[in-house]
Amino acid sequence: MLAYLIRRLVFSVPIVFGVMLVTFFLFFVVQSPTAMARRILGQKATPQAVENWLHNRGYDKPLLVNTRSGEAVYDTLFVSQMKRLVTFDLGNSDVSGRPLRDVFASGVLPSLLITVPAFFVGFLMALGVSLYLVFVRDSLLDVVATLLCVALMSVPPMVYIIFGQYLVAQQLNYLPAFGFSLQGLSTVKFLFLPVGLMVISGIGAEVRLYRALFLEELGQDYIRTARAKGLSSTRVLMVHVLKNGMINLITVVVASLPFLIMGSVVMENFFGIPGLGNVLFSAIQASDFAVVQASVFLGSLLHLGGLLLTDLCYAWVDPRIRFQ
Amino acid sequence: MIVFAYVWVGAFGLQGDGLLDKASLLAERIWFQNALIFGAYALLACLLWRGSRLERWVSAWKRLRRDWIGMGSLGLIVVFLAVGTLDLVQLPIKEGKQTALDALSAFVVTESGYSAPLATHTLSLSNPTKLIGHHLLGTDALGRDTLVRTLKGARTALLIGGLTSVIYIPIGVLLGILAGYYRRWVDDLVQYAYSTIASVPEILMLVAILMVLGKGLVSMALALGLTGWVGMARMIRGETLRQVERPYVAAAQALGQSNWKIMTRHLVPNVMHLVVIKFVLGFSGLVLAEAILSYLGVGSPVGTASWGAMIDASRSELSREPMVWWNLAASATALFLLVLSLNVFGDSLRRAFDPRRG
Amino acid sequence: MMFPPTSDSSKARWLFAWLASLVLWIAGCSNNPYPQPERLVREDGTPWQVRYSALPEDPRSLDPQVSYDSVSRRILEPVQECLLEYHPMKTDPYELRPCLLEALPERLDRPGGGHTYRCTLKAGIFFQEDPCFPEGKGREVTAEDVHYAFQRIADPKLESPVLSTLQDYVVGMGEAFEEGRKNGRYDYSHRLSGLEVTGRYTFDLHVSRPYPQLLYWLAMHFTSPVAREAVEYYDGQLHGGETRPLFRFHPIGTGPFRLAEWKRNAFVRLVRNPHYKTTRFPEEGWGGDREAALRPLAGKALPLIDEVHMTIFKETIPIFMLFRQGYLDGMGLGKDAFSSLMTPSRELSQKYRERGVGLHRSTEPSTFFMSLNMEDPVVGPNKRLRQALSSAFDVQKYLDVFANSVPLAAQQILPPGIAGYRKDFQNPYGYNLERAKALLAEAGYPSGRDASGKVLELTFDTAATSATERAMAEFEQKQFEQLGIRVRVVENTFARLMEKLDQGSFQIASGSGWMADYPDPENFLFLKYSKNVPPAGKNESRYKNPEFDRLFEKMAAMENSPEREQIVHQLIEILAEDVPMIMNMHRSQFGLTQPWAPQVQDNPMLEGGFKYAVLDVSLREAKRSEWNAQPLWPVGILAGLFVVGAIFGLRSSKKE
Repeated sequence: MLAYLIRRLVFSVPIVFGVMLVTFFLFFVVQSPTAMARRILGQKATPQAVENWLHNRGYDKPLLVNTRSGEAVYDTLFVSQMKRLVTFDLGNSDVSGRPLRDVFASGVLPSLLITVPAFFVGFLMALGVSLYLVFVRDSLLDVVATLLCVALMSVPPMVYIIFGQYLVAQQLNYLPAFGFSLQGLSTVKFLFLPVGLMVISGIGAEVRLYRALFLEELGQDYIRTARAKGLSSTRVLMVHVLKNGMINLITVVVASLPFLIMGSVVMENFFGIPGLGNVLFSAIQASDFAVVQASVFLGSLLHLGGLLLTDLCYAWVDPRIRFQ
Repeated sequence: MIVFAYVWVGAFGLQGDGLLDKASLLAERIWFQNALIFGAYALLACLLWRGSRLERWVSAWKRLRRDWIGMGSLGLIVVFLAVGTLDLVQLPIKEGKQTALDALSAFVVTESGYSAPLATHTLSLSNPTKLIGHHLLGTDALGRDTLVRTLKGARTALLIGGLTSVIYIPIGVLLGILAGYYRRWVDDLVQYAYSTIASVPEILMLVAILMVLGKGLVSMALALGLTGWVGMARMIRGETLRQVERPYVAAAQALGQSNWKIMTRHLVPNVMHLVVIKFVLGFSGLVLAEAILSYLGVGSPVGTASWGAMIDASRSELSREPMVWWNLAASATALFLLVLSLNVFGDSLRRAFDPRRG
Repeated sequence: MMFPPTSDSSKARWLFAWLASLVLWIAGCSNNPYPQPERLVREDGTPWQVRYSALPEDPRSLDPQVSYDSVSRRILEPVQECLLEYHPMKTDPYELRPCLLEALPERLDRPGGGHTYRCTLKAGIFFQEDPCFPEGKGREVTAEDVHYAFQRIADPKLESPVLSTLQDYVVGMGEAFEEGRKNGRYDYSHRLSGLEVTGRYTFDLHVSRPYPQLLYWLAMHFTSPVAREAVEYYDGQLHGGETRPLFRFHPIGTGPFRLAEWKRNAFVRLVRNPHYKTTRFPEEGWGGDREAALRPLAGKALPLIDEVHMTIFKETIPIFMLFRQGYLDGMGLGKDAFSSLMTPSRELSQKYRERGVGLHRSTEPSTFFMSLNMEDPVVGPNKRLRQALSSAFDVQKYLDVFANSVPLAAQQILPPGIAGYRKDFQNPYGYNLERAKALLAEAGYPSGRDASGKVLELTFDTAATSATERAMAEFEQKQFEQLGIRVRVVENTFARLMEKLDQGSFQIASGSGWMADYPDPENFLFLKYSKNVPPAGKNESRYKNPEFDRLFEKMAAMENSPEREQIVHQLIEILAEDVPMIMNMHRSQFGLTQPWAPQVQDNPMLEGGFKYAVLDVSLREAKRSEWNAQPLWPVGILAGLFVVGAIFGLRSSKKE
């Protein structure tokens, strides 16, 4: 098991490296560091200011290969940036100069406060509904409910938000239409609307997926055996299908867990939640390479973390994988 | 390929504009665009014809025909396809661009501003002006008929879905089969490639490609396609691994058939139904993605009628006095219907191909 | 069903009770989106007055010598006062009045050309209380602090954006920058020769050549005094287990407010500085119609309110959602809001007039235009073509469609309020389609086709990201295409458009505009000065005209006078004839105010002017509860549904 884990971890290193290389390439093919400096320094910046800015941040180095005489070939922007990242030194934002450690640390809690409740509420609701649908499978209710799920997932998330804000916050005045604060219990009132909308916009897809997973479990041979032994269908469903189906379900769900930290761009923009969701997006728009690089780096670690968790789940469920 | 050539040229600081200009010049020819559309339909017909010789496909079709929900949604999809195609076919009528749909809706006049569905005057409290024509679903900020704009939105959805699928399906299927058939280092390489691509945020890829190629439906499709093949490759690889264990592959190998032949003649037909299901379900995801990207401001370019752009614009329309709701209603309904029917049809397809799992 | 029948009914009851209390709790929630303010009552027992306003994004830097954007200025202005300030009510013409200085500087001739400005600081002005000073008390401001500020402008590590301008005039500044750059570190022990400290409160500022605009720079926070202790104390390092913020995120000034809290992406809170006494409410300067409202405030101590809470909105739509609910005390009327709150006749819609909402229009000292590239082989050499394009663009209709006709259609490069602005001037190539077609024919493209019959195709670069911007680009395209030519719209990201403008790789480009740094014609006309072609400056049209240059240079070194005005008029005429750009608008800032927070100052050179703001807290409370009534019927319906569901559930479980 340990050897397997270590092998997976070692395999992640070239992936992270590849991701960083692709990011670097994508970013600087689009714009030279000079263009980036102009964008950040604004319309009124002079060339002297631009040059000075680039020099102070090391962006005046060659990008990938240093061909200047008298300097080492590897004395380049990419190498120096990678060196920093390897030691988890995230550096400062290019736009605001704020330490990125702060940027990420302050956004984690608001992001999690939205995504974690939404995830668990959504998960439990979807679990309950899908089990019930499996229980009454092939009935009219099942058909209608499945169609309803598909309908729910066919609405773009913005439409839910537009309606939610309009109805609950503007017409009924029950909840704040916007804003966020971390002041004890009053935080909760800011969470209801975004969490609720996130659950609604996600539940259709979840129910459909879980239902399919349970049905697949129901088709397995051992279930037929259990039925043949005369166990009641409720008992089969609650004991065998739930137990074994849950394992499959968890392996599916677990990969998305690390991404709860990343928050949700759309929700955070609409509701003014100071989370991590729009950090990457606004950094791309503001040409803030330091932030883009750091968030891609952390994002790829999270992604690989998710894959690793899934693998571990599989290995735990199916011992044969360990000997692969 | 144009992207890569361009990226290559750009990376070395050379001028790449000439190449791109030639490509875009060709793409703007009317005959070229029409040929592309008919080519796409011919390809689809070929695929179906090939499928009709597979026993699995024939029995699936028989099952599908009895599924009235599936057939209903297929009908709806065909309607959307027809509307979108009408707006894709260019007519050589006038200077500038004119599609078949433009010609059909030429009688619809443009007003001076918002007007409600079936209203007789523009939407204004203080000085409403009389409308020139009638508008079933009202008009938007520039006085354009909402119904026509909504119908034209089908083209954007279709283009995004179609173009992206044309890009990601071949890459995904090819790499998936290669990885599953050869295993060893080929498999390692493919797995490395898709793990890496999957870890690069899509939004970064998208913005980068849009900035290099300029905003447009083609660049958007390229960006979505270049990130979208991962799921397909992963699924096809898994299925191929399973198929390779089957005796028919061993038999073909024993008969001395070349690897290429085994892959194209035996493996591809056996995974093709999965591709079709994924294509249909993926299509709905792409239509939704276009809407979300339009909201984020990296969506379809100026002048394109797109449901995403209409939904985005409706946010400020809803808070007007009096409220402008018809643009949101029309675009959201159209988007909803297309995505819903694609999803339902995808489910029906899956059931038809694999009745046991249904 | 799924639970044994006995526990089912009790569980259903529990569930019902729980859900019902949840619904009631939600209903009892207020939709107030704000956290608690610093305090609820003042020391004298009257209510603590918090002003709620909006910010579009986080400020980038609050370092007075560095930050240049309007968002940062909005926070710096109340915190960091300047040597001079604009009179809050006088805008035509603008007027400077002393703030930290005793009086306007005295100008003396300097041997070898140039001038010396003799300045005296007010005595007894203190920096805000802060732990960086001994015992946390504020220290008195001296001329040394001004000297330190000027040194900071020259520090290469600080990247002050105004260095490039000031080094051309202030003696010794460029040399100090070069020396710092060479040594890799700026040596603060070297005195700056251009700023001579002559006493505790007095200093002389030396400029090497005449620069009448210098006074305006003294009204900007770049030149405002900075405490050296504060910069050294706030170093971003760990001290005794606590990380101090960087000085650029923790400004310490002498202003009426101090920065109390800044939650990134969320809000900024300013709280009053109890020791503020630098300025008082002006005694005069407003029109007769405001006499009744403003006279009672004349000469009062500032600030009039206690706290400013600025919420950061990345989206514009929630801004007027909250304004409508009474949770914002004022708002700038953006593009989206124009249409929803105003009738086409540029009046506030009925509903808001009834609410007592005030509408204020002030035209920003700004000019927006589309740049035409004078180095482009098609557009550049063909003056008639440029004139035709300009005549084909219907600015007024553009503004009617997209801005409810609110901004002023620009006829000239100068905005109103700037010396030399000609009220009666009409752009000779304003909208006239017939004339445009004739001009196009004269340009060599009759009906839009060249000699070989090919349709003229031009590219039009824009930065369009939102739906509205997209519609605008489409509109502009259609306007030009009326001439029979074809216009290809290229959408860029903002950064890419700026790059294109800098490199000159465009034909027609939207998105050029200039917002005055200071209200002087030089600050606008230099946009077409040949020595300001990028990268040196912002002459993005690459307009080069020796006659224009000669007149411009002469005008720039002059003090305002009728003769100067005459030259400015000449310059405006040259530009109007040559059409290096297509005029668009002078942006008008439309503001809405709630009845409890009427507008006091309307000077667009001020960013917020919070120290003059007034507030009626009790009226606000009353209106808020009136506007946010929570109807009970949805709760009733929900409760009804629960009851029905519970009964149904109980019955079916009994059956089983």
